[in-house]
Amino acid sequence: MSDTSKEETTGVRVTTAPVFPRGATRAFELRVVAVWVTLLVLFVLFFMSFGLKFSFIVDRFPALAGLRLTKDGFIQGAALTLFVCFFSIIASSLLGLISALGRLSSSAVCYGISTFYTSFFRGTPLLVQIFLIYLGLPQLGPVPDAIPAGIIALSLNYGAYLSEIFRAGIMSVPIGQREAGASLGLPNWVVFWTITLPQATRIVIPPTGSQFIAMLKDSSLISVMGVWEIMFLAQSFGRSSYRYIEMLTTAATIYWILSICFEIIQSRLEVKFGKGYSKTR
Amino acid sequence: MRRLLVASVLAPSLLIGWTSIGMAGETLDRVMKNKMLVEVTDQAYPPFSYIDDSGEVVGFDVDISKEIAKRLGVGYKVETPSWEIIVAGNWNGRWDICVCSMTPTKERAEVLDFVNEYYSAPANIVVNVDNNDIKSAADLNGKKVGAQAGTTYEKYIQKQLVIEVPGGAAKVDYPFAEATVVPYDSEDTAFQDLALGTGKRLDAIVSGYLTAKERVEKTPDKFKIVGEALYGEPIWVAVDKGDPEWEAKIKEIFKQMAADGTLKAISEKWVGADITSKQ
Repeated sequence: MSDTSKEETTGVRVTTAPVFPRGATRAFELRVVAVWVTLLVLFVLFFMSFGLKFSFIVDRFPALAGLRLTKDGFIQGAALTLFVCFFSIIASSLLGLISALGRLSSSAVCYGISTFYTSFFRGTPLLVQIFLIYLGLPQLGPVPDAIPAGIIALSLNYGAYLSEIFRAGIMSVPIGQREAGASLGLPNWVVFWTITLPQATRIVIPPTGSQFIAMLKDSSLISVMGVWEIMFLAQSFGRSSYRYIEMLTTAATIYWILSICFEIIQSRLEVKFGKGYSKTR
Repeated sequence: MRRLLVASVLAPSLLIGWTSIGMAGETLDRVMKNKMLVEVTDQAYPPFSYIDDSGEVVGFDVDISKEIAKRLGVGYKVETPSWEIIVAGNWNGRWDICVCSMTPTKERAEVLDFVNEYYSAPANIVVNVDNNDIKSAADLNGKKVGAQAGTTYEKYIQKQLVIEVPGGAAKVDYPFAEATVVPYDSEDTAFQDLALGTGKRLDAIVSGYLTAKERVEKTPDKFKIVGEALYGEPIWVAVDKGDPEWEAKIKEIFKQMAADGTLKAISEKWVGADITSKQ
């Protein structure tokens, strides 16, 4: 048992399916499931003790879960959260990659821009960045709407974190790999794209997955601009009817379920990119 | 190099195309051109503005601005960013009008224009039902008093409230020497803390009478309103700075709405009484 828990805490398991530790027996798996079920039941009982009004939750769940459109016919709730995260994930990955390359580049300008960017966006609170983009950008001319402003803020913020993760991933690929590519006469970008990047990807998937799960929940901060995502609806419904706890628990549950989906996607990707390293194959 | 030039020209124009450019002083033109009145209001301030069960923003304030849009002959849209963003001003053409239960203050008057008073709301003290010590504002001395951050209630507890109404400031009395203000992001948290019992986290809350009344009616075993009104809070329509024509138009519409009884009807529908001000 001590061995397995140790492996749990190191957190880096890049070779096999991540739900159970490697070499886990059937009995071990069953016990883990039993613990999960017990904890979940206790958790539910704990929330039941609040005396929640379930009819209230049932009425508003479709809106929070994004199953219903707004009166104006726009997506809301979880659908809008996922919409914002989808574009932010793409943009932040690109920003992170570019910034990581800048940091690894021999050009002083690229290095300077990249380090300045990561320093500022990692060094200031996301909420402040959201306000700066939503309220500050109009002083310069463009007046971004709430949703684009939220996507820009999340992308810039998470791009800075991803930059460091990607840099670590790229640096983890042994120099001999690049030298081998160069000795075959391959151009630099081909070496990077076909040799370095795929190997780095395997390393960066677990920490990147964690970042995207964090982004999913941080997207609740864009509710300050009046974006009708999960947290905004939970607060609006909760506040105006004095049923705050009901709505917060519902929001928490939806975020948790979405996070679990992200975790599953992450583990699938880990398996895919870890193929060459799997001992069983 | 040429590619870089193209990119540097393209990038900002894309950004501009994606967004809308604000032009100061042209609110009325914009409303008439877009055939759309964009109101900005609070997301959860019942019965003035809140999201109802069907997911629509409704309330006293919303009905008034809808009526304004109707009389202008334009469409209506409402947006609900956080209160701090509304009162920060510099709307840059995002929103045209704020019929949003706003009290004029000196600081707010620096970034927003106040057009006309449309109702008056008393501010009161709310205490836990177990509290028999606090009977009026004089008893707030040395107590921990909660209020929503950034509101006039918070300023009142700090004894710094200046109600800036065009044509002079309304006088505010402070019968207590000093009270400790406990600011909250939302009033709900304040009321939850007060519900824990007197002195646990709070001794009292200063809040608007109308919203406090609704809360007390829903939970009579927890809260009660005590004492006289602390001050009458004049509530004004706010707009972004710099369009006198727009302000004149709003005033004119309010005169019509008062004359034909529309304002009174809206007030009675949502509050159960006529609290509107003379236009």
